[in-house]
Amino acid sequence: MSELATIPWNLIMPLLVLQLILMIVALVDVIRHQRTNGPFIMWIFIIVLGNLIGPIVYFIFGRRQA
Amino acid sequence: MSGFSVLLKKEWRENSRNFKVLWIPIAFIIFGILEPVTNHFLPEIMKSVGNMPEGADFQWPEFKGEDIFSSLLGQYQFIGILIIVLAFMGSISGERKNGTATLLYVRPLSYGHYFLSKWLVTNGVVLGSVWLGILAAWYYIEILFNHVDAWEVFAFIATYSIWIVFVVTVVLALSAWLPTGGAAGLAIFATLIFQIIDSLIGTYWTVSPWKVAIYATYWFQPNADMSDLWMSIIITVLFIIVLIIFGSSMAKRNASKTTV
Repeated sequence: MSELATIPWNLIMPLLVLQLILMIVALVDVIRHQRTNGPFIMWIFIIVLGNLIGPIVYFIFGRRQA
Repeated sequence: MSGFSVLLKKEWRENSRNFKVLWIPIAFIIFGILEPVTNHFLPEIMKSVGNMPEGADFQWPEFKGEDIFSSLLGQYQFIGILIIVLAFMGSISGERKNGTATLLYVRPLSYGHYFLSKWLVTNGVVLGSVWLGILAAWYYIEILFNHVDAWEVFAFIATYSIWIVFVVTVVLALSAWLPTGGAAGLAIFATLIFQIIDSLIGTYWTVSPWKVAIYATYWFQPNADMSDLWMSIIITVLFIIVLIIFGSSMAKRNASKTTV
């Protein structure tokens, strides 16, 4: 646990917050519209597991334009 | 002129409805923060996960803040350009395909205005993202590295912006000319692959739009030769003007290809 304390959280925090915003926006969009290229369950996994790249890939390839 | 402002509003609404005004800035800011942070903690990261042999003593190069700006530029030149191309490859061809264009083209519409409205809004979104990303990187460089002269940073941002506008113009003009897939392929070739070609065999010429990004880092070097930079900027601006004219006329020529 002592290693956790040495991580400079005040420097890393903005990164985590931005990633979280990206992930939440992508997730809300998938669940609300469910119109994706391919099964939308797959996209949920990509967004949640592919931390930074996941939401970006979803916005580029996963979203089907109405 | 009222038609033009309506088109601008339409573009803005489209870009906010598909979240491009949100995720593109966030992506650029994340890459901007990641670069100084990983470079600063590289020795520690290597110590804990790098599997270094016992007692190995590796001399890490002393990075200065200016070097981090250069390495951030390398990051943006690949991932950033890829994001721009992929995000906006379908901005005109996609409208032809999904039928939005049908609703537009039946109205008395100037294709110059149509193309320019897309050009302005796309550049606004992309330039805003790149600026925010570089400013975020600058903030972290000031904390983790050394002080970088503000004048140098702004000259760097201004020069790099010209290259970004060039990329956006290429993507939109190709999107007006070709279907989405072809536009994406050719745009990736014209921006990413041609950059490599230009750096490999481009030693024979010093003036080209693909060199503007590299010249942007010259602002950080105390006595670099700037004459090539100004010529390259002039050539790039000419390219941009030609591509806007090309794009508007292609949008007009391909108007009949829209799905009804």
